[in-house]
Amino acid sequence: MSASSECRRSVRLPADVDLHARPAGLLVRAASGYDACVTLRAGDKQADAKSILQVLSLGATGGSQIEVETSGSEASAALDAVAGLLETLA
Amino acid sequence: MQPTASPGIVLVSHSNEIAEGLARMAREVAGSDVSVVAAGGGPDGSLGTDGSRVAAAIRSADAGGGVVVIADIGSAVLSVRAVLEDGDAAGVEAVLADAPMVEGAIAAAVTASIGGDIAAVRAAAEEAWDVRKL
Repeated sequence: MSASSECRRSVRLPADVDLHARPAGLLVRAASGYDACVTLRAGDKQADAKSILQVLSLGATGGSQIEVETSGSEASAALDAVAGLLETLA
Repeated sequence: MQPTASPGIVLVSHSNEIAEGLARMAREVAGSDVSVVAAGGGPDGSLGTDGSRVAAAIRSADAGGGVVVIADIGSAVLSVRAVLEDGDAAGVEAVLADAPMVEGAIAAAVTASIGGDIAAVRAAAEEAWDVRKL
């Protein structure tokens, strides 16, 4: 593994969880713990996962597909944390 | 070296209910560790703003990391500016963010919760102008 890398994973939100304010807050706080750029894509929108307003503006609804892309020295750990959280939001 | 304390956030609205409700919402999204203090309504509970309440809120929100103030409209903005210019906040480093109130408060609270300093918290609130809802 190189010190700096890019990682990407596609995940699906749980069917009954929309990316509303509270889960979006959890997501931003999780992403911010890593030295990595974390970008989310849903449909034709993209968001910096460390910006609550950008994450909310994705308007991602339950069951939708979200592409998580990370880069930087902790890209791999950030990807695991953010993708894992998105898939297990309740 | 002591770690720097998180900035506090003060919400100034003409309506006490708006300020209190938004403070609750911000804590819900950002976590209860963030200091969000509501300063809404006039001196007698009417719609309006109260400089002394704003000054007290700024002092109580500060934990050493300074305070970002977000106001709703018109005279709320003027009241905050008067408090800051008159030095009524008693030595607290306080800044007024130029931001839409609801979005700005949420962005500011989340940024404070993840370790942002006073400049980062203010910038996050002001970024609200640039993030479309649709």
